[in-house]
Amino acid sequence: MQRKISLIVNNELVEVEVNPGSVLLDLLRDTLKLTGTKEGCREGDCGACTVIVGKLKNGKIKYRAINSCLYPIGNAAGKHILTIEGINTDSLNKIQKLFYDEGASQCGFCTPGFIMSLTAHLLTHNKLMYDEVVNSVAGNICRCTGYSSIKRAIKELTTEFVSNSYELDDLINKGLVPDYLPGIKERLISINELISERSECLQKHHKIIGGGTDLFVQTPEELFEHDLTFISQNDMCEINFKGNRCFLGSTVTFEMIKTSTELQQYFPMMDDYFKLVASLQIRNSATIAGNIVNASPIGGMSVILLALNASIIISNKEEKKVFHLKDLFLDYKKLNMEKDDIIEWIVFNLPNGKFNFEKVSKRRHLDIASVNSAMYIDDEEGIVKTVYISGGGVAPIPLFLKRACEFLTGKEINKENIIRTIEIAETEISPISDVRGSADYKRLLFKQLLKAHFLKFYPQQIKMGDLL
Amino acid sequence: MSTKFIKSKFWVEDIKEEMMAEVPISVVEPWQKDKELKYVGKPESRKDAYDKVSGTAEYTFDKSFSQIAVAKTLRSPYPNAVIKKIDVSEAIKNKNVLGILTPDNCKDNDWYSGTSKLLDKKVRYNGDEIACIVAETEQDAEEALRLIKIEYEILPHVTDLEKAKLDTAAKINDHELKPREYNRGNLEEGLKEADIIVEDKFSTSVAVHNPLEPHCSVVKWDGEKLLVFDSTQGIWAVRDTVASQLGIPASNVRVIKKYMGGGFGGKLECGKYTVMAALLSKKIGRPVKIVLDRKEMNQAVGNRPSSVQELKIGAKKDGSITAISHNAYGTAGAFPGSAGCSWPARSLYKCPNMKLVDTTYYINAGKDRPFRAPGHVQGTFAFESIIDEAAEKLGMDPIEFRVKNFTAVDPDWNGPYTSKLLREAYIAGADKIRWKENRKKAGFGGGIVKTGYGMASQIWWGGGAPPSYAILKLNWDGSAELVSGTQDIGTGTYTILAQIVAEVLEIPTRKINVVLGDTGVCPFGAMSGGSMTAPSVGPAARDAAEKMLSKLKSAAAAILELSEDKLEYSEGVFSSKDDRSKTADFSKLFGHFREGVLVTQGAREANPEGYAINTFGAQFAKVDVNTLTGKVCVKHVVAAHDIGRVLNRKTLNNQFHGGIMMGLGFALLEERVIDNYTGKLLTTNLLDYKLPTIIETPEIDVIIVSEEDNKVNNIGAKGIGEPAMIPTAGAIANAVYNAIGVRIKDLPITPDKVLNALASKNN
Ligand SMILES: Cc1cc2nc3c(=O)[nH]c(=O)nc-3n(C[C@H](O)[C@H](O)[C@H](O)COP(=O)(O)OP(=O)(O)OC[C@H]3O[C@@H](n4cnc5c(N)ncnc54)[C@H](O)[C@@H]3O)c2cc1C
Ligand code: FES
Ligand code: FES
Repeated sequence: MQRKISLIVNNELVEVEVNPGSVLLDLLRDTLKLTGTKEGCREGDCGACTVIVGKLKNGKIKYRAINSCLYPIGNAAGKHILTIEGINTDSLNKIQKLFYDEGASQCGFCTPGFIMSLTAHLLTHNKLMYDEVVNSVAGNICRCTGYSSIKRAIKELTTEFVSNSYELDDLINKGLVPDYLPGIKERLISINELISERSECLQKHHKIIGGGTDLFVQTPEELFEHDLTFISQNDMCEINFKGNRCFLGSTVTFEMIKTSTELQQYFPMMDDYFKLVASLQIRNSATIAGNIVNASPIGGMSVILLALNASIIISNKEEKKVFHLKDLFLDYKKLNMEKDDIIEWIVFNLPNGKFNFEKVSKRRHLDIASVNSAMYIDDEEGIVKTVYISGGGVAPIPLFLKRACEFLTGKEINKENIIRTIEIAETEISPISDVRGSADYKRLLFKQLLKAHFLKFYPQQIKMGDLL
Repeated sequence: MSTKFIKSKFWVEDIKEEMMAEVPISVVEPWQKDKELKYVGKPESRKDAYDKVSGTAEYTFDKSFSQIAVAKTLRSPYPNAVIKKIDVSEAIKNKNVLGILTPDNCKDNDWYSGTSKLLDKKVRYNGDEIACIVAETEQDAEEALRLIKIEYEILPHVTDLEKAKLDTAAKINDHELKPREYNRGNLEEGLKEADIIVEDKFSTSVAVHNPLEPHCSVVKWDGEKLLVFDSTQGIWAVRDTVASQLGIPASNVRVIKKYMGGGFGGKLECGKYTVMAALLSKKIGRPVKIVLDRKEMNQAVGNRPSSVQELKIGAKKDGSITAISHNAYGTAGAFPGSAGCSWPARSLYKCPNMKLVDTTYYINAGKDRPFRAPGHVQGTFAFESIIDEAAEKLGMDPIEFRVKNFTAVDPDWNGPYTSKLLREAYIAGADKIRWKENRKKAGFGGGIVKTGYGMASQIWWGGGAPPSYAILKLNWDGSAELVSGTQDIGTGTYTILAQIVAEVLEIPTRKINVVLGDTGVCPFGAMSGGSMTAPSVGPAARDAAEKMLSKLKSAAAAILELSEDKLEYSEGVFSSKDDRSKTADFSKLFGHFREGVLVTQGAREANPEGYAINTFGAQFAKVDVNTLTGKVCVKHVVAAHDIGRVLNRKTLNNQFHGGIMMGLGFALLEERVIDNYTGKLLTTNLLDYKLPTIIETPEIDVIIVSEEDNKVNNIGAKGIGEPAMIPTAGAIANAVYNAIGVRIKDLPITPDKVLNALASKNN
């Protein structure tokens, strides 16, 4: 069951028959023989396969770094793909030269991935901040260099642009990105027209694919046999605001949320929360709906949305339904959803009160939490009006802590009530031991995270010593 | 070439090797201390950096041929079983399936010291090889593997080290693993003399190499001749294993390794996959590629053994150590291997009385392989932790205590070291991290985040040894090619060899091409491991270059009709000392030769008699520990080492930074986890087996306290790959203790252990 897709890879129009169950990396390495893009894990964990994907939206191309080993080939249709081969010119560009000079490439197997992540960062920003640039390669593993040389290269790169904002033209003039980039837009527009004609026939689906970051890790072999719907190609990729409500399109990615300036007004720490979720490449692909539906007990998005008391809008051929997210999770990986249901929108009220998210994992980035937790609290003169608490990694499902919330509602914020809330919360959880930690540890850690919420919300009233 | 054969002694891990080696009779003098070197020591960029940053470097992983077929391996889902029946009939039905190997085809292919076969009907761990299928595509091969029907007799397994120690444990391998014991003086007497005794138990997890490029081979037959592209640290080991496994002459096997994506010890020996690919390729008459996936990488291609270490130290009030007892046990998997880790206890300090026992137990898991400083990384963590405990009990500063027990001679046989600047390393490192000013009493300070400082020392071999050879070809245009059968695995061997030749011949490195990693064209060269490469091959390259210079000189003398002692050489030109107008450059010299290329062969000289050759160093760590979440964050590492001469400051820094981060991973993150109930590996990917990322990278300073070691070899250099990693975990663990006042004795130091330790301290 092959399907024909068109896309632009570097400076070439590519029209190929592909198996829809395959990933972009296979097209690049096996079909197009662009072997500069490497593969180190095929599970989104190493970044060796990083390439840049450009998507046409509202007449502009938006570029971002993704892991091509998990990127559904169907999502690549109509896109511009940039690989290491595509940025090579007669001489080394500035990033390559810095890697060369600083010895930032040892065995070199990770190097193309790093260079593509950095190039993507240049393309998605108009100013460089050292820390942000370092974070852009947090999803790239290097086993040889110990990263210091890479950090030095990044430092040099940022001084190149110090305090100056820049445009695409500047990048081209400096030889940092190829000069054919400006011409890509027109060429993509003509391919995109072809895509929309075909999208109708994609609707008769058996399996829905969002960002593919879960499906291609869990069951890659099954995807070869399914009829697939590439839902990210549709138009639910928007964050809208109506009144005091926020509507998140189901294919909105983690990174879109992280960088949404509107959301940041309500969640000033949003950027920090999402820095802790997966890696940039994964966040650029992973959709909210995918995170909810994969129903992982530690799903970061689910835990955050639970504490916002979000609702979801679901549709299938017959009807549209709306219900609370907390009613979606039935049991481990079991959802209150039919096979043909598609999540379309996630809706929540914009907060008046305080919101916080905490996550602990062994590694600081590129990791799945051992335990995470989110909390929303709205109080008036020290009396709690509304509180929502959620926890991940402490039950078979992303957990809404109903009883703890019920207890605290209407109560005064003080030491005793907080301790009592935490005690009640503890009775609601049922962690199990696994690779990410023992049950006892998760229990202990969860209590610590709840304390951390309160310490952050009420630094004046509550001190660490009160909660010991 | 004037050479002789000697018995060459050197240490590989903790095994003393003695082999015959051909060495030059006349030995090249090391460069004098005050000689200003033009190329050696300079921070030249890697010769192969261009290919790597442009993505054009072709790794074995990228290698392909037309008509290439893909092989995949079936691995045991059970930790211990006997295969009763294999039915492949369904699997081979698909026309895209080209060939298959099962245990029936491998009866003569002994593996693991004869305790198993290439493919065996007895499978001893989850991941053990059962069959290998070659097909048109990877997908075809994988599908076919799923169609193989196997009847297993499932046997009881043991994956828990403590259970493996029991007499009742299921027998895993008939080959007996004998404990290794080392005694010096009298332990009991030594303990009696002591004023204080500290005793503690430490443990470390199994760690997995996980280089970024998976293990892989591409093989192609040309008649009787076999071409093997392999991602390997030892082309000769691969050649010899493949030849003997296939029963063909070694000269028919040519192993080529060009670019490879890291090894760290895991790629020192020939993998089963290479042999299986060669057998299948022969069978189907087409080139075959075999690549391991990340799960196989974590199951089946080696690891650093676990350790449990019971340590006891006795010392006098003045700080002198009187006794050391080190009882260590661990597991190296289901096949003969070694979990020994007592070497640091044996050699780091002066101590007249000791008893060290290393015991290795089988469990149903993948076999060990050397992993960057085998034994030393685990051993140093535990030993340097108890040294800290002893210092604390004596009320001494950890550095003062170490200096007190400094030994100027190898404590084993009282021979002098070629050099030992460990005390200088202490001073330089302590100074840089401002040890005196910054380090407070353990557990000092309030607040959620607590800061601590710790340090640990390091000893390793790393002086290199013969045999290693290099051929140098000098061309008429003054360009040269150096050929040696070692490999560059990302460490910079291409670059430093070019620098050495450039130094001698005074020609720029860009005119020197270095050819490595091809058994078809290279003379034997050292494996790339154990910090052996540079100090073994480097001197051979220098020897070849010096011989070339002598050859040119005698030619110049003949052509200019002068005696050699009247000649001077500078940057490719010979001139008469007396008459500057009498000169001969390369083109003039070569104008008189029939050939356009001159050839010399150099060899690594013998190691000096009567000396112990070691590298030394100390690392210092500053950590922050979050007492709310238990997370440890390393803020700063200072590494101060004695490694002889720096050959290239850039590649040296790289090695150190990489080694330190690997040590940091071992200290805080990396841990193979097996579910003891099912015997299955749980950490099958890089999400669960956690490697450090750029975010974990602290500030790192590398200080080299040595200028050169002129007794060790003609380039005065020792290796750096292992020293870089050895003390990191110990320094971090000691710093964590200093921060929170409770010692985490089990690596990795994960947030759960820290929280639990803090909780039990508060209770
Ligand atoms: C390296 C790595 C790190 C990660 N780290 C984290 C982390 O820190 N925190 C975390 O929470 N997660 C993490 N994840 C998991 C990842 O975030 C989720 O897999 C991701 O959100 C899934 O989104 P997706 O769009 O890629 O899902 P897909 O793989 O496309 O789909 C997942 C499931 O959702 C279904 N689906 C998708 N869209 C819809 C829809 N609109 N309606 C109905 N069903 C739909 C699919 O059919 C499938 O069953 C990590 C994953 C990787 C590979
Ligand atoms: S290959 Fe490792 S992230 Fe894609
Ligand atoms: S240079 Fe080897 S993995 Fe980065």
